[in-house]
Amino acid sequence: MRMIVITVAALAVAGLGCGDSSDNIGGMGGDGGTGGTAGTGGTGGGAAAIDVSIEFVGKVNGADFVCGDVYDGLGTSDSSLEFSDFRFFLQDVALRNDQGEYVPVELDATSGFQTDEVVMIDFEDACGMGTVETWTTVTGTLPEGDYQGLRFTMGVPFAENHDNPATAPPPLNVVAMFWSWQAGYKFLRIDSGDFSETDWRMHLGSTGCDGDPIAGGTTSCLNPNRVEEVEFETFLLEEDRVVADIGSLVADSDLENDLGEDPGCMGKPTDLDCGPLFENLGLPFDGTGGGAQSFFTIE
Amino acid sequence: MSKGPARAAALGLILVLGCGDSGAAPEDPDGGVDPQSWEWNLPEDVPRPRVPDDNPMSFAKVELGRFLFYDTRMSGNLTQSCASCHKQELAFTDGLARAVGSTDEVHPRSAMSVVNSGYAATLNWANDAIVRLERQALGPMFEVDPVVELGLNEITEEEFLQRFRDDERYRDLFAEAFPDEVDPISVDSITKALAAFQRQLTSFNAKVDRWQRGDTTALNESEQRGAALFFGGTNAAGVPDALECFHCHGGFLFSQSLDEEMNVFDQSTFLNNGLYNLDELGSYPPGNEGLFDMTADPRDKGAFKPPSLRNIEVTAPYMHDGSIETLEEVLDHYARGGRLIEEGPLAGDGFNNPNKSSFLNGFELTEQEREDVLAFLRALTDDDLLTNPAFSDPFAE
Repeated sequence: MRMIVITVAALAVAGLGCGDSSDNIGGMGGDGGTGGTAGTGGTGGGAAAIDVSIEFVGKVNGADFVCGDVYDGLGTSDSSLEFSDFRFFLQDVALRNDQGEYVPVELDATSGFQTDEVVMIDFEDACGMGTVETWTTVTGTLPEGDYQGLRFTMGVPFAENHDNPATAPPPLNVVAMFWSWQAGYKFLRIDSGDFSETDWRMHLGSTGCDGDPIAGGTTSCLNPNRVEEVEFETFLLEEDRVVADIGSLVADSDLENDLGEDPGCMGKPTDLDCGPLFENLGLPFDGTGGGAQSFFTIE
Repeated sequence: MSKGPARAAALGLILVLGCGDSGAAPEDPDGGVDPQSWEWNLPEDVPRPRVPDDNPMSFAKVELGRFLFYDTRMSGNLTQSCASCHKQELAFTDGLARAVGSTDEVHPRSAMSVVNSGYAATLNWANDAIVRLERQALGPMFEVDPVVELGLNEITEEEFLQRFRDDERYRDLFAEAFPDEVDPISVDSITKALAAFQRQLTSFNAKVDRWQRGDTTALNESEQRGAALFFGGTNAAGVPDALECFHCHGGFLFSQSLDEEMNVFDQSTFLNNGLYNLDELGSYPPGNEGLFDMTADPRDKGAFKPPSLRNIEVTAPYMHDGSIETLEEVLDHYARGGRLIEEGPLAGDGFNNPNKSSFLNGFELTEQEREDVLAFLRALTDDDLLTNPAFSDPFAE
């Protein structure tokens, strides 16, 4: 945990200095933002809080994800892949109270896998190039009440996404999730094999991002690529788990015959292999599509 | 690229804040140079590069950046440093058509010169998002797409930083460069020191500079005639501004993609110069189509940043993919107004590329005019840059 302490200290020092120009940019939210979590009941005041934990489980065609295991029957060519990484970021995690309002979970930022704003779900255990520690549960608090119904977005909020990753708090300082070519983060990372030039992989983040040489940051991205407001109307905290299934994600992809310049999909708007993967995430691709996602389910 | 009024608002804020510039009090009480101070070594006619508020310049930081730039500990497998692809004697390029990373993967693009990179509106060949050297450094350090460069993704951050913590010289260098940091050895410090080193890695002392500063003997007659043609002169065929070079390669940087301390406009620029034309959309080879790779807008196919022409003589081969070997062939390419590839998978006539810049109309040059323009381009070489000890490998000292 030494690394975390250091980062916080460095942030405090940076905060004393001259105004960081990125402050001026963050508020612009040029990619349309997330639509917010309007109408929340508020978590402030003296209301008693309850601890909540929302469990996520990684799967491949219904079987539990085990880092380093080989899975068969993937995609339209019944491919076999050995997965070596499986991580994603969540934001705007909220549960619906008995008034029908979605209340944002106040995230516990002490684990290293969560900030106030984001959660990094991490199913890999360093079978490849990751970290031994895993993180599969969103933890935090909510005002006392009855909750059913879950909503979250897979992504990192615009301001955090385009801030300096070298000074960001954990888990936003995890280098493997940097998306440096677009000055942001990978929202989703799935790797197979040992990351050779031919091993299938999928990395997703905002693309088509601009930069402002004068203010020094990104003001907008053509393709935010956040999987917005995934919603399960009946989700019972005590009983239900969220399943993220790679098999569902790649169901309509031919993993044998790559169409683009990169193996798999590196999130680029020009890589045709991204089309069916984006479709299953409910994301538009090449100006079309964008509907219901089929990557996340509950059990 | 349209940039909204939000930018002007952000700019206003920055101007009002007017955060600390360097240049104060270089002397310390002992009479030496204060390592926490900074003084630019720039000619009077050259503005200062923009310095982010959170990364002020200092001699100590530049010195740390210089060590890091030349240190193979900056690569995962300890085989490469920044300087592996950015060699001083080649104006900080590598002489290769396409760069080769630490794991021997071949990059689709040619290593750009980092000289005067503190003045670039955007870094890289065609990436609108990367506008600060601090952020740019993370790319070669950690990115795996399109290829592994320095390959620091292969080791943990702790393992990477430990390399410097274990070295007494670096412990001192980091402490001097970041005296206010509790733990100065961090990825953030490393990117900031590299950026500071590159911001002062400037080159404005070519023969052309001396001539523009009033030394009428600096350019010979051939070079002067070449300058006239470059800057809009009429050629022997009687066409005014026949070459149109300066429209994209103008200003003190000899690139329109320019930023500096007092600049108030986003001058990022991406243009198609007719190198390829694979289909009716003006496609370039897949995966290497310039700004289109970012935006997926067909009008951006083949749009790349016009690089600075300073020191162009020593940065062969040319273009984003190193596909033109010599300066002579570059001039012939522009004289034709686009490249014709007659056969093979890249066949097509770049002259007809629908996205081609309107400045590429082709031109005629006599043999003497051709020699004159080439002589002018060679007069953009700054010999001091190629040998300046301040920019050289500190491990070789």
